[in-house]
Amino acid sequence: MNAPAILIAFPKGRLGDELVPLLAGTPLALDAQALKSRVLRIPTATPGVSALLLKGADLPRYVAAGVASLGIVGSDTLDELDMDLLELADLGFGACRLSLCALAGVSLDELRAKPHLRLATKFPRATEAWLTREGLTAELVPLSSSAELAPLLGLADAIVDLVQTGGTLKAHGLVETAVLGRSSARLVAARGAYLSEPGRIRPLAETLLAALKG
Amino acid sequence: MPVRTPHFPDLLFGPAERLRRWEDALMGLLAAHGYRELHPSLVLRDTVPDGALRFFDGDELVALRWDFTMALAGLLARRFPEPPDRVSYAGAVFRRPVQPWEAVERFEVGCERITPEGESSTEADVELARLLMAIPGVLGLKSAILHMGNAALVRRPLEAEGLGPELAAEVVAALSRRAPHRVAQTLEGHPAAARLSAHAQALLSELDGPASLGALSASPYAELLKEEVGHMDRALQALLPILPPNLELRVDLADVAGLDFYTGPTLRLWAPGAQQELAAGGRYDRLFPGLGRPWKAAGFCVRLSRLLDLAETRPDLFEQP
Repeated sequence: MNAPAILIAFPKGRLGDELVPLLAGTPLALDAQALKSRVLRIPTATPGVSALLLKGADLPRYVAAGVASLGIVGSDTLDELDMDLLELADLGFGACRLSLCALAGVSLDELRAKPHLRLATKFPRATEAWLTREGLTAELVPLSSSAELAPLLGLADAIVDLVQTGGTLKAHGLVETAVLGRSSARLVAARGAYLSEPGRIRPLAETLLAALKG
Repeated sequence: MPVRTPHFPDLLFGPAERLRRWEDALMGLLAAHGYRELHPSLVLRDTVPDGALRFFDGDELVALRWDFTMALAGLLARRFPEPPDRVSYAGAVFRRPVQPWEAVERFEVGCERITPEGESSTEADVELARLLMAIPGVLGLKSAILHMGNAALVRRPLEAEGLGPELAAEVVAALSRRAPHRVAQTLEGHPAAARLSAHAQALLSELDGPASLGALSASPYAELLKEEVGHMDRALQALLPILPPNLELRVDLADVAGLDFYTGPTLRLWAPGAQQELAAGGRYDRLFPGLGRPWKAAGFCVRLSRLLDLAETRPDLFEQP
């Protein structure tokens, strides 16, 4: 039995859209034909190395379990899930802010003064950490998408969400009232694969770094 | 009917035979080096830690044995006025899983090397490393990697800079992720940020053979850590000439797993392609003083459950018996 193929987990969505062009022409370029299909396991230009296309929230689990040896994921997702994996580099791209956003005209002080603050978010861990730092309490409304609607429709007083250009916020009449943290794409590795097979994994990690960090 | 996979796997014929054979072979190896078996009770009535499997025995809260080293330490401190110098153990521990794929019941074989106050522990560290080096051969692993680290390389600079427990824990978590950018981010604004970030860079220099120790010369704490580096260097000089052909020795300066427990050299055994370490140990000189005994101790534990899993999923890594 030969050593199994190496799998690298790439994110779908916003980060994935930035990632695919950066890999073009490198040994880890994704097969263009396969990318056009609905297949989620894509061959790369290096034989024996395939890419898995995964939702960001699932990706760290594949890496932590050792199914994928390497992966690229936003630090916001890493912070929320706190999986046991290695975070080899901050790749710099996909930069955005994790912000508290409310309807235009509602200030941070007004939110603080609310006797029962309700915050909608898909980042409960980061939100709780910020509330602790600020000495505030709030009811967290868990959402998995379209959080911008929550303050508009009265589901929550404000949201904690990722902001890149601010365009979506503006379109919904929301503004940033506080920045809780910053996020960017990170190169992650399975602890076991990286420590037990450095000869196989490290060159691939270096190839990714060279392609993605410029 | 349970709807989730239980974490108490039954062993069928093949794994059961393999467990028996490995346990016997490992205990035989330890006995040949003077280690005598102690068998602490499966049921603990001491202070019950969070990760233990707990239940009520009548009105009394008890726990299943969750860690041999802790169970043995309690037994040794209570029952022995002078410490036995070499102790071995074999059996199961029960621990709540951190990850969903981990079993609760885990089979282990291990040993403890105890030295009374005032005696040098250098020889004991080398003795344990030599024993660990013999284990891949005993288990029939075709090849293995032994990582040597030292908890003091991280612990002493953090203590010297007076970091509070929360900040120190964040730095250790960043090092555990091997993320120098996280270390810098965590320490932003701290007076020791530049020094500790430079130290993290030195610790996280690529894993390699004995030459990795040289990376520490670039650390601002090179002088503070002179003794530890010297200890590691002497151990390497003693071990490299007797390295078995299928074992690779690597220096892992950023090994911070169990940093709240280990105080000195650490050892971790891997097989190429294994997702988890197969054996681990090190020096933990604060354990017995915490129990009122002035003894120093080190030891390691072979994680047989992980080896059994590996034998099922990657039989190509093992010689056929």
